[in-house]
Amino acid sequence: MTDAIAEVTPDREDLKLAQRRSAAGSRRRRYLAVGAGWVGFILLWWAASALVGSEARLPSPPRVLEEIRGILAEDFWNQFWASIVRVFAGFVAAIVIGTPLGFLMGRSRYWGNFLQAPVVVAGSIPGLTYAVLAFVIFGISFWGPVMAVGLISMPYVAINVAEGVHGVNKGLVDMSRAYGRSERQVFKHVVVPSVLPFIFAGVRLSFSLAWKVGTLTEVFGSSKGIGFQIRRNFQLFNMPAVIAWVLLFIVFMLLLERLVLVRMERRLFRWRQWEHDR
Amino acid sequence: MSSSSATLAPPVAGPGRVRQFLVTPIGAQLTAIVVFIILWQLVTVIAPRVPGPVSVAQFLWVEISGGSHGGVVTGEFWEHFAHTLRHFSLGLLIGFVPGLLIGVLIGSSRIAQALLNDTVLVLLTLPAFVWAFLTTMWFGVSWQAPVLTVAFASFPFVTINVAQGVRSITPELKNMSRAFDVPRRRQFRHLTLAAVTGYVFAGLRFAIIIGWNGILLSEWFAGQDGVGFRTRYWFDANRYRGFVGWVIVFIVFIIVLDRLILNRLQRRAFRWRDPVETDADQVKLEQVGG
Repeated sequence: MTDAIAEVTPDREDLKLAQRRSAAGSRRRRYLAVGAGWVGFILLWWAASALVGSEARLPSPPRVLEEIRGILAEDFWNQFWASIVRVFAGFVAAIVIGTPLGFLMGRSRYWGNFLQAPVVVAGSIPGLTYAVLAFVIFGISFWGPVMAVGLISMPYVAINVAEGVHGVNKGLVDMSRAYGRSERQVFKHVVVPSVLPFIFAGVRLSFSLAWKVGTLTEVFGSSKGIGFQIRRNFQLFNMPAVIAWVLLFIVFMLLLERLVLVRMERRLFRWRQWEHDR
Repeated sequence: MSSSSATLAPPVAGPGRVRQFLVTPIGAQLTAIVVFIILWQLVTVIAPRVPGPVSVAQFLWVEISGGSHGGVVTGEFWEHFAHTLRHFSLGLLIGFVPGLLIGVLIGSSRIAQALLNDTVLVLLTLPAFVWAFLTTMWFGVSWQAPVLTVAFASFPFVTINVAQGVRSITPELKNMSRAFDVPRRRQFRHLTLAAVTGYVFAGLRFAIIIGWNGILLSEWFAGQDGVGFRTRYWFDANRYRGFVGWVIVFIVFIIVLDRLILNRLQRRAFRWRDPVETDADQVKLEQVGG
């Protein structure tokens, strides 16, 4: 379409305008389709709930919405905050343990081989294991989910840091040495800035998995948090509340991912962007 | 790997062949396993409630050979394992086929992508235990609950991977083969299939890893048979060596299936591609987070 326009109007400004217009048109169509997707999803759910004909088995969207409103008015933030603090404390643990392991794996071939199997195994263990283990060790406690999140994210951090260490620009290191910079300076100004984004990438990649396992751990051993609420309502056979909590979980997980993590990622990778722009 | 990685490798000192073997990749991995078992044994010395490797191995032997655990409880390994495998494969099938179809749809049509992408994203965000709870509330303690947990949990992972595969078909190659009158069947075989197979495999691997966790959870919370049920049985009985034994069984199962079988098959399917990108771990790590 734009090609045809380009032939008749060779003027650059016009061409840009036309391109923008057609881009806006296709964007509008995209938004429409995305909206239609949501409407379709909700209608489908509504129809299924009407077909089942029991709010206790498959509640309708308005019933769940009502439930969500109730939860938000009550103590959602309290529960949500409890979950978030644990998940992020778990990330801190994963970074503290995973980064040195990653450095070791990235710098030495021997340690890379030595740690490869443990890291791979740790990455494929079903979440159930971590959740029960955390419960056995800590009982009903704050530290259970922290440990589970830490264990599940640690391999991702380690693998990414190892990758980052491999990727440190060797020319830059050599040059810094040639200009008489000390090892410490090289480490601080060359190695750390290039590895830092990889630490973050590890957290970011494991984010969704870690959040899920953290919640699962709350299902097993916690007296607070989203996972605990889902389990409590499951045991009460309160289907609308289960679905409401699950939806809140999804919404806030996606929001956290989009708003917090994507922004942090941009900040941390800023120096690379700058390199690209030049 | 990178050429800079040998910098800190310990020097091979001494004439011993054993020493030389220990610094090879296999030697290093074997050392890691031995160190792990020694550490495990040490933990049991400090905390006597933790079952040691020997007692867990003894338990597993009794469980697998069908011997007596003392009293009337006998080993029931194969019954539970076969039970879980049946449900697991049925659930995978139910999740995989629609995942494949919808993935092709999303990958090949922009409208379908805009329509369905968010729904798939929402499904992707749902933890497997939520499906275990929901299916239990719908079907009670039944065969449907574990089967559908596997199906629901694995479906979105198949979908996004297949969609990505379909999108990866290069339009230039497609145009060129059209221009050179390559027959449709050959186009399909060498272009479409070649591009998609690797991604389908990646999707299958996710489906298996995610589904395995899902079925364990479902059986744990509402099962009367199966690996998850049996694990919980020993856990509830406070017989931690039984619990640890079964945990080892289900971890070993998934690692053997994923690493030794699927990973190799996937590498074969991707072998025509740039070797750097064939690294299945890369695919895996990117996907789970997304």
